[in-house]
Amino acid sequence: MNSVKFSALKVGLTWQRLDSLMDETAYTFVRTSFSSVVRDNWDLAVSLMDSRGRQFAQSSRSVPSFIGTMPSTLAVMLQRYPTSELKSGDILISNDGYHGTGHLNDITMARPIFKDGQVIAFIGSVFHSVDIGGAPSVNARDSYEEGLTIPVAKIVREDVENEDVIAFLTENLRAPEETLGDIRAQFAAYDMAIPRLLKILEDEQIEDLDEMVDEILNRSEKAMRQAIEAVENGSYYGEIQLDGFDEPLKICCEVSISGSELTIDYTGTSPQIDKPINSVMNYTRAYSAYAIKSAFDASTPNNDGSFRPITIKAPEGCLVNPKRPAPIWARHLTGHYLPPVIFSALANIMPEQVIADCGSPIWNVYFAGKQPDGQRFMKMFFMNGGHGARPHQDGPACLSFPSNITTLPIEQFENSVPLLVTEKSLIPDSGGAGQYRGGPAQRVSFKATADNPVTMTIRHERVIFPPRGLLGGKAGAAGTDYLNGDRIPAKVRLDIQRDDVVTFDTPGGGGFGPPVDRDADKIRSDVESGLVTAASAKRDYDFDAGEAKSDG
Amino acid sequence: MILTPVKRNLMDKPYRIGVDIGGTFTDIVMLDTRSGRLYNEKVLTTPDDPSAGVLTGVASILKANDATAHAVNQIIHGTTLVANAIIERRGAKVALVTTKGFRDILEIGTEGRYDSYDLFIDMPEPLVPRRWRFDVPERLSPEGHVLTPLDENAVVAVAKEIAKSDVTAVAISLLHSFQNPSHEQRVLEIFQQEAPGLAVCISSDVMPEIGEYERASTTVCNAYVLALFKSYLERLTAGLRDSGFEKDLFLMLSDGGTVHEETAAAYPIRLVQSGPAGGVQATSVIGALAGESNIFCFDMGGTTAKASLIENGEPMRSTEFEVARVYRAKKGSGLPLRVPVIEMIEIGAGGGSIATINKLGLVQVGPESSSAYPGPACYAQGGTDATVTDADLILGYLGADSFLGGDMSLDVDAATKALELNIAEPLGISAVDAAWAIHETVNESMAQAASIHALEKAQRISDYAMIPIGGAGPVHACNIGLKLSVPRVICPSSAGVASALGFLVSPLAFTFVQGGLVSLDAADFESIRTMLSRMEEKGKELLSSAGTAQDDFKVELLVSMRYLGQGYNVEAPVGSEILAADDRTSVRGVFEKAYMFQYGRIEPDVPVEIVSWRVVVSGPAPVIDLSGARPTASDSEARKGEREVYFGPAKGFVKTPIFDRYCLTPGESFGGPSIFEERESTTVVPPGANSKIDDALNLVVELPHD
Repeated sequence: MNSVKFSALKVGLTWQRLDSLMDETAYTFVRTSFSSVVRDNWDLAVSLMDSRGRQFAQSSRSVPSFIGTMPSTLAVMLQRYPTSELKSGDILISNDGYHGTGHLNDITMARPIFKDGQVIAFIGSVFHSVDIGGAPSVNARDSYEEGLTIPVAKIVREDVENEDVIAFLTENLRAPEETLGDIRAQFAAYDMAIPRLLKILEDEQIEDLDEMVDEILNRSEKAMRQAIEAVENGSYYGEIQLDGFDEPLKICCEVSISGSELTIDYTGTSPQIDKPINSVMNYTRAYSAYAIKSAFDASTPNNDGSFRPITIKAPEGCLVNPKRPAPIWARHLTGHYLPPVIFSALANIMPEQVIADCGSPIWNVYFAGKQPDGQRFMKMFFMNGGHGARPHQDGPACLSFPSNITTLPIEQFENSVPLLVTEKSLIPDSGGAGQYRGGPAQRVSFKATADNPVTMTIRHERVIFPPRGLLGGKAGAAGTDYLNGDRIPAKVRLDIQRDDVVTFDTPGGGGFGPPVDRDADKIRSDVESGLVTAASAKRDYDFDAGEAKSDG
Repeated sequence: MILTPVKRNLMDKPYRIGVDIGGTFTDIVMLDTRSGRLYNEKVLTTPDDPSAGVLTGVASILKANDATAHAVNQIIHGTTLVANAIIERRGAKVALVTTKGFRDILEIGTEGRYDSYDLFIDMPEPLVPRRWRFDVPERLSPEGHVLTPLDENAVVAVAKEIAKSDVTAVAISLLHSFQNPSHEQRVLEIFQQEAPGLAVCISSDVMPEIGEYERASTTVCNAYVLALFKSYLERLTAGLRDSGFEKDLFLMLSDGGTVHEETAAAYPIRLVQSGPAGGVQATSVIGALAGESNIFCFDMGGTTAKASLIENGEPMRSTEFEVARVYRAKKGSGLPLRVPVIEMIEIGAGGGSIATINKLGLVQVGPESSSAYPGPACYAQGGTDATVTDADLILGYLGADSFLGGDMSLDVDAATKALELNIAEPLGISAVDAAWAIHETVNESMAQAASIHALEKAQRISDYAMIPIGGAGPVHACNIGLKLSVPRVICPSSAGVASALGFLVSPLAFTFVQGGLVSLDAADFESIRTMLSRMEEKGKELLSSAGTAQDDFKVELLVSMRYLGQGYNVEAPVGSEILAADDRTSVRGVFEKAYMFQYGRIEPDVPVEIVSWRVVVSGPAPVIDLSGARPTASDSEARKGEREVYFGPAKGFVKTPIFDRYCLTPGESFGGPSIFEERESTTVVPPGANSKIDDALNLVVELPHD
């Protein structure tokens, strides 16, 4: 194979141990975390980088936003504090959205790992803090309005917390206990991980970690190159419409395959806007890399090597590569469109490896206000849409893609806020028709129960342009937002009063393949379940439901 | 194996019998309480009606000992029936009744992908299709206050519709019902009136814990297997009665407690992990007899392995479980359950796991596994894949002529060919190196998983003694033990029937769990005490009716707590005197002690909240003692011969003596390397490890660590 330094057996065993160490570290963090965004949504990642900053192991359960971002953030951190100025027990922190993962809410930290007085690696992690101060809103015109920027700083110096940094956070955040609780949970996770990494190196008799990293990255690179080589050379184009704000926006995407190299070029995409949906280059890279990894090489572990054959290009100043200080808070409203636009570009050349559009960018709602006892609260609730249909399978109902963010148990949610969830159910006819049907979407309704008004913030997409079907499949249903039964804008902040009901119909998944090819038994079963009404069965499939019972 | 007599034996009914139904075999273990002697029997499992196999097995073991069913005092039974019925979807046609607006919670689930990158994953199909999921107007607040009264007319209409259909079981799971069961109880009454004859389960009875999806899923699973399990029990008890058995039947629960048949019939979902729980209970006793109370139990079979930890003689427990995973052993791909279980991790690799070269050019073992037929290449039934068993054969761990006591000979040429074709040639290495790579890779997976599990429990695996059970366990145990720095591996002589043995040593016990989210400062201790004493009384009733004397009861109170804002709980035992005194500081104290132990830090300024209470009411554990054990086999020569066995590139092949496990007597000791063969398994002891037969006939291996 690539190297004679290590046997395949040794590489395999070491790699397995490193990946499992990262999962263990993430798990320790999650178990002791204070925020539901970490605990329930796993909005975090933990990774190991070698002395040169190359990421060679990452926790397997992470939202895609964090793929490959830590090496770029670490490089910026090391410009401020070169390795030579780092001491054992130092921890660096920053949340600069343009150097990190694309918005201020994600805080990245890194700690050098010393062996015999030398930095041999870094352990890093990134997590989402629900509040980061400021006034992030759909109307933010620049990133300064969106909250506190923590410049690269040492939050811990030689095992002692830096009180100045802690004070900045405490004074600027609305819920500092939660965020600091999560930060300290990561300190504990690092403490657990570092001796274990050193033990692995000792057990496996690895003198020079960088050499093992070379081996790991080379193997990952080779696997990705083989997968790319299997696809015919050429340039493939796709584009997608975004609802946007005052006018629709467009993402253009050309995927070029040449031998074992793959290039994605977003030239032609709409310019950046002064609304907070711009996707900084790191975020654009992360979601593009995620799409390519899932379509080409889903089963191998995640590290820098897989992405060496991939080049992502985007003109500076466009929606997917904005210039500072464009607002970036809700960058997922752009970034979550990248997998579907890439898949639609590739659909004709590799139809077996892609899926139809899902009901994403993910929908969520922020509620903020006062509890009956006067205590302030701020709570986010995620609601996934239907999943896109696949080449040989229907789309599952409300399965998260691409962000893999889970929902909160209603019984837990209602315990923490003065709101009741009055409905959470599947919406009939919301999955796009096709040989394989798109996943149905869900309706979620909330009713305010306290005398204090509750401020509700939403920023939803796929209300104008629904999730598209692929290769003859039809689009899923568009999403809709309601207040007391009347439609409201999809990007809005408003106060709701006691007994008001807000309702969100998430978007349904797109269908795959022509509806005329759908198996009659599947249509009948959909009508029986009520997920497809008899009228739609007639219209979309020319299927006469007859006796079949529809009770949707 | 021989046990010394228990204290209270009944001379006219001296026998106790444990029965475990596995996929292939039904194992029967019988204890003669007069002599302490144990007898084993294995009969083929009868999948169409598993009670037939049990009856045959019990009859056969009694006959072999010239005894009759009249002389049997107790039969304790564990079975995979419940889990298999769910996995194979053989349960009842179930309807679900939920709160208005929530009929789809069962299908929507957590909305999370169990694999982030796989675009083609499928989620488990709900046991209740949408057509049979109903919602009725009613609503409780998070505290359990009625916000919307139950619409009884709507319930009547649903009950009538269900009564007309071919649905036979109903699960009722309303929002926040764990805080106030009154609506669910009323729905139950209406169903009993309007649709008598249906099996109806309510979530506040089956598992009153927070989390609407998991609670509904648990209740549905219980309803799904209720009738099937009940009719199985009826057939079994009728059969046993006809054979002359006069006492009651007891069943092993997933948390290692045993209960009377009537209790088991009401909560069959509690038996979902019944068999494996018995195995862990057995290792706990085997360990105790060998002087070990901290045990790492390792059960490796054909397609999966299971690991669990026993601390201070008690298996670690949990209330989270997942059944019928659709993607091998992958967490998140199954139906979630909230039931008291002995905590085990499942690893998707076993003796039949297939080795391949993956895309990274590395050896990968599993997750694909060869089925029983054609099986590993060495079975010579036409299999061409290289499996863990093939590797074990080539390395000399398994004897070609001694597998299954010599009943099945293994084909070395076929195994070599499979290894060469699939692994050795692509990597440019020898067949032996390929076999070693497979063996090491699968052992590393096991070691990693066990180590992570221990860390999750804040334990160091190197502080534990390892007890391997299952067919492939003892073959791999010492190598895995070396990786984990485990000091000692104890290989019991009864590994093949460990679960059934475990049933005999488990106490009568029942666990109640009651959720009730409240901050510690605001908790109303008086109503908590009332609630706990109700649970305690109910437990005592169950045990009394099963014949346990009042003064033998043991009651444990455990409380799950967390810091306000957290979502994972830490469970700690809390004394009744602390509760009686409303001593909040001490309650916080027990929590922080447990939290500190697990995570190494506490948060003194953060408030604490109570999540749920667990009450365990148990009778005395049957006392057994193996000190009087004597060899069962003759004095024939233990050493059967020797063969070349491979122990890694540094040592290469080493001439290794082979011993017949059945001929070993207490006190005998052996240097490593050595191999011990028995019918169901083979124990591989590496160079440098010394082993000794203890008084209970365990083979105790001391592993060398530098």
